[in-house]
Amino acid sequence: MNGIHDLGGMHGFGPVVVEQDEPYFHEEWEGRMLAMMIACFAAGVYNVDRFRHPIEKMDPHHYLLASYYEKWLCTVEQNCIDAGIVTREEVDARHAQLMKEKAA
Amino acid sequence: MKDGNHSHANVLIPDVGLRVKALESLLAEKKVIDPAALDLIVETFETQMGPKNGAKVVAKAWVDPAYRKWLLEDGTAAIGSLGYIGVQGENMVALENTPEVHNVVVCTLCSCYPWPTLGLPPIWFKSAPYRARVVIDPRSVLKEFGLDIADDVEVRVWDSTAELRYLVLPMRPEGTEGLSEQELASLVTRDSMIGTGLAQSPSH
Amino acid sequence: MKMLTTAMVPTVLATGDPARVDIEVTPKFKAGDKVTVVNLNQIEHNRLPAYIRGKVGTVTADHGVFVFPDTSAHGKGPKPQHVYTVMFTARELWGEAGHPKDRMYVDAWDDYLDPAS
Repeated sequence: MNGIHDLGGMHGFGPVVVEQDEPYFHEEWEGRMLAMMIACFAAGVYNVDRFRHPIEKMDPHHYLLASYYEKWLCTVEQNCIDAGIVTREEVDARHAQLMKEKAA
Repeated sequence: MKDGNHSHANVLIPDVGLRVKALESLLAEKKVIDPAALDLIVETFETQMGPKNGAKVVAKAWVDPAYRKWLLEDGTAAIGSLGYIGVQGENMVALENTPEVHNVVVCTLCSCYPWPTLGLPPIWFKSAPYRARVVIDPRSVLKEFGLDIADDVEVRVWDSTAELRYLVLPMRPEGTEGLSEQELASLVTRDSMIGTGLAQSPSH
Repeated sequence: MKMLTTAMVPTVLATGDPARVDIEVTPKFKAGDKVTVVNLNQIEHNRLPAYIRGKVGTVTADHGVFVFPDTSAHGKGPKPQHVYTVMFTARELWGEAGHPKDRMYVDAWDDYLDPAS
């Protein structure tokens, strides 16, 4: 698809910003997301192409701002919904519950 | 943003780490994933996958002409012989830098990267500026990394659009004749294997 | 659905998803052939970056037979076919903005390429 992911040759993004001594994961959840992506692949939830396509279909604003692991969350969640494993409402409810517990 | 009403805060997923946790807990309850397997994956990446692996491949190619030849002819087999093959490094191609040719690797459509040899990619490799610009203006991107490519050197940019993953074989630095393979490996930086850097000289 | 256990993790990480298919498919091209990239604008998944569409390049390598993402992403089967590396001059892709010495190498499936006329 002619999506925002197809970045080659575009102008206007500015210089390449390099983080010195970048850690392997910036936050713990990034490692969990990496592992969940591999575990769901191994369980047969998606193949590499079905994994990639929902990332390409993300809202372009979101795509450009999201970290790579946030993009992975979007596609793993979408693939699990498409496969009938979870519903959006279940994830929303659990997410809201965890945010409420954190705030308490 | 398109209508002036978007802020970063309402475009990004709020408290994204907790949404990852929410999904993980649901998938664990439904027996789709085992959190203990996730622990092991994270540990394996943190302890076993990183540019130190690729550096061993490069150092071996510098000291062993037969290995170098094999690596350039069949990267998958040669890298596999050292054990650095697997997820996101299933099909490997090595690219030889010479005084006449400088290779640099990108994935414009995604952020594909050879995990078993280089680990997970740095943020800049996944960023829009790098993916957009290194194909159309590689020399200015390389300059930002401190590499001034002479006009008579050919720059080859490799876009990993398919399932092949690329590893640059940087040139062996001068003044390294007496060094062991292990000492040589310590000179091989991550960026030198992407093509945005050179191997370090021993005096560095 | 087969849940990934800790016992399976080393094998999964060491195997990955090779995407290479061990069957005989006749290649459309060989190294040295001049090709024109198709002008594909499908809304489905594909691996054809816009900057090479319609451009003329030269096949430099045939990597063998791989699963085709365009069908694989949409449950339409693997449609196995050859993947090649295709070389383009920077001038072909970017006009005067391209450095006369520079080259761009892009991997492409058989369905993305036509013989250059």
